[in-house]
Amino acid sequence: MGRRGSASSSSSLESSNYPALSSRSSLYQHNRDLSTDLRLGLSIATSSQGNPSTPSESDWPPIKPFLKETLAAEENECNSATFFVKVYMEGIPIGRKLDLLAHDGYHNLIRTLDHMFNTTIIWAEMDGEHSEQYHVLTYEDKEGDWLMVGDVPWEMFLSSVRRLKITRADI
Amino acid sequence: MLRMASSFPEEVLEHVFSFIYDDKDRNAISMVCKSWYEIERWCRRRIFVGNCYAVSPPMVIRRFPEVRSVELKGKPHFADFNLVPEGWGGYVYPWIAAMATAYPWLEEIRLKRMVVTDEALELIAKSFKNFKVLVLSSCEGFSTDGLAAIAANCRNLKELDLRESEVDDLSGHWLSHFPDSYTSLVSLNISCLGSEVSFSALERLVGRCPNLRTLRLNRAVPLDRLANILCRAPQLVELGTGTYSAELQPDVFSSLAGAFSGCKELRSLSGFWDAVPGYLPAIYPICPSLTSLNLSYATIQSTDLTKLVSQCQSLQRLWVLDYIEDIGLEALAAFCKDLRELRVFPSEPFAQEPNVSLTEQGLVSVSEGCPKLHSVLYFCRQMTNDALATIARNRPNMTRFRLCIIEPRAPDYITLQPLDDGFGAIVEHCKDLQRLSMAGLLTDRVFEHIGNHAKKLEMLSVAFAGDSDLGLHHVLSGCENLRKLEIRDCPFGDKALLVNAAKLETMRSLWMSSCSVSFGACKLLGQKIPRLNVEVMDERGPPGSRPESCPVEKLYIYRTVAGPRFDMPGFVWTMDEDSALRLS
Repeated sequence: MGRRGSASSSSSLESSNYPALSSRSSLYQHNRDLSTDLRLGLSIATSSQGNPSTPSESDWPPIKPFLKETLAAEENECNSATFFVKVYMEGIPIGRKLDLLAHDGYHNLIRTLDHMFNTTIIWAEMDGEHSEQYHVLTYEDKEGDWLMVGDVPWEMFLSSVRRLKITRADI
Repeated sequence: MLRMASSFPEEVLEHVFSFIYDDKDRNAISMVCKSWYEIERWCRRRIFVGNCYAVSPPMVIRRFPEVRSVELKGKPHFADFNLVPEGWGGYVYPWIAAMATAYPWLEEIRLKRMVVTDEALELIAKSFKNFKVLVLSSCEGFSTDGLAAIAANCRNLKELDLRESEVDDLSGHWLSHFPDSYTSLVSLNISCLGSEVSFSALERLVGRCPNLRTLRLNRAVPLDRLANILCRAPQLVELGTGTYSAELQPDVFSSLAGAFSGCKELRSLSGFWDAVPGYLPAIYPICPSLTSLNLSYATIQSTDLTKLVSQCQSLQRLWVLDYIEDIGLEALAAFCKDLRELRVFPSEPFAQEPNVSLTEQGLVSVSEGCPKLHSVLYFCRQMTNDALATIARNRPNMTRFRLCIIEPRAPDYITLQPLDDGFGAIVEHCKDLQRLSMAGLLTDRVFEHIGNHAKKLEMLSVAFAGDSDLGLHHVLSGCENLRKLEIRDCPFGDKALLVNAAKLETMRSLWMSSCSVSFGACKLLGQKIPRLNVEVMDERGPPGSRPESCPVEKLYIYRTVAGPRFDMPGFVWTMDEDSALRLS
């Protein structure tokens, strides 16, 4: 009935000699607290002294270096791509340039333009009262038509936009 | 009976033995009696050394004088994940030097995770007149100069395979060193090389080697040159493309599609760096006959991936990024009924939040739909005990199961329980399981299940798991066929190791890093079991400079008949009787 292994000393590892496991959820909580503490930068003993730790990116998750490099390179390529378009505000002869790929969607873009031109931009998703002091954001597409920004999915917008124009809302 | 065994002439026995190829069978034959041992050792042509430090070159040569094919493995598996510091060892030169004189008729060398130098390659090139096969898997330490030596001198070379090796890529010029008279190439894998080889040299080489069946190109080969290469080798069975990206041009597309259609024997595809969906249809004509598809570098999204795999009804092996998502895996389950092996890699391994919809459900679907699925490597961000149990019940024929959940110690995301029962189901139902790699929140209980059920298990990988030495004890005492055990970041200490010290001699190796094994225990093990090398790796300095109870950083224990090695770097110490005295 006994366990395999050296007969003389296996009794030293009988479960009765070991403290009962603490309940599993509290064990997980314990681990999470330590991980959180590590992230908060508190000085906790390193894992080499048997405490749980969060692994470094150099050795976790376990993927081979060749794949890791290829994925990292691909991500960098995505991150370093740019798409600059001209932006003019009505009444101001000198325009600006904006990298659309530095934004992940319309909300981000509108926020940047709000700051850049110091105004409140109206676009397709905006409702509520429109003050005369607001501006409307439009774009020129590949066919040369001027449309309000925000009606089509972001990716589709990126593939058709040529430049942006901000006009007064009181037309 | 004994009289009968010795009354067969040697030549007859030798002839009979020549039909036995498997190492285990050969080993069994050699133990029948002394004369069979003698006959067998003279006619063994192929040797496999799973750990290059388990035996020394002179010992091998002394026993087997007529070897034609050698396979050696060096660094521990965790070296693949940066856990083994630079300079650890695994040098092949001493082996090549010894074999250069002992085995002038050596034909094949296969190495994995070893340090190969240009000197070693040059020695190979000039020592073995009938050299045919060189496979360097995850090796490092050599440059394209060494490859040039091989290309220039090995007239009978059939196979040159550099899979995933780290090569000092000085230039692509080495390929031009294959003389014009050289026509015997059967297999060439240069996918790990960075620089451009001369395309015209490559095309001429491919064109003049009629037996070429495997060609794995590197990323530097552009898509518009692929058609020309394929047209010169319509007999290809395995192809690795270069970059699979170009501006969509109808003429490039049609010549590519035509070239692929001409390759009626093509069964395996890989490469596909930067793949653009627009060029995927070029391979559609050959998809139905593909048995192996490696899309690990193809950053195409799930719609295109789904469309692709749905046409590969003969597929047996698929390696793919998690862009395939659950929906693509459902299609795989529906269309690829012959699937045997699936590997899904993470496209954004360091992102905290999932970037794709790949969950435990994808793996469950494949386990349901593919009756021959027996080998799995799956990276995901969530798992449940139920899913694992379902997979186990669906696939009792599973032999290799490796799961990695990106977040260490992640529990069952629905019940918040550890994944003990899920993995317990795996080892209980999959009675032929040979290899297991676990993930998520795991307590000592999972190790109890493994010890009780995983009787055929040969290799186990454990990370961030367990509560106490009991876990390790369950595995060491219960898994009868365990050969390789690798552990990182687990609270396992001295007791289980010392109690099961004898078990370690029945295994190839044990790796433990960031655990709680003390220096004192390591010394004790080294002294207790003479035919084990107990190597302590510690970049903090000599372990003797810290208290004996202090845990070591890394521990690598392996059985050996060659004694302690002498090529260790400054951060590795062997624990044996002598060193224990030296270090105290």
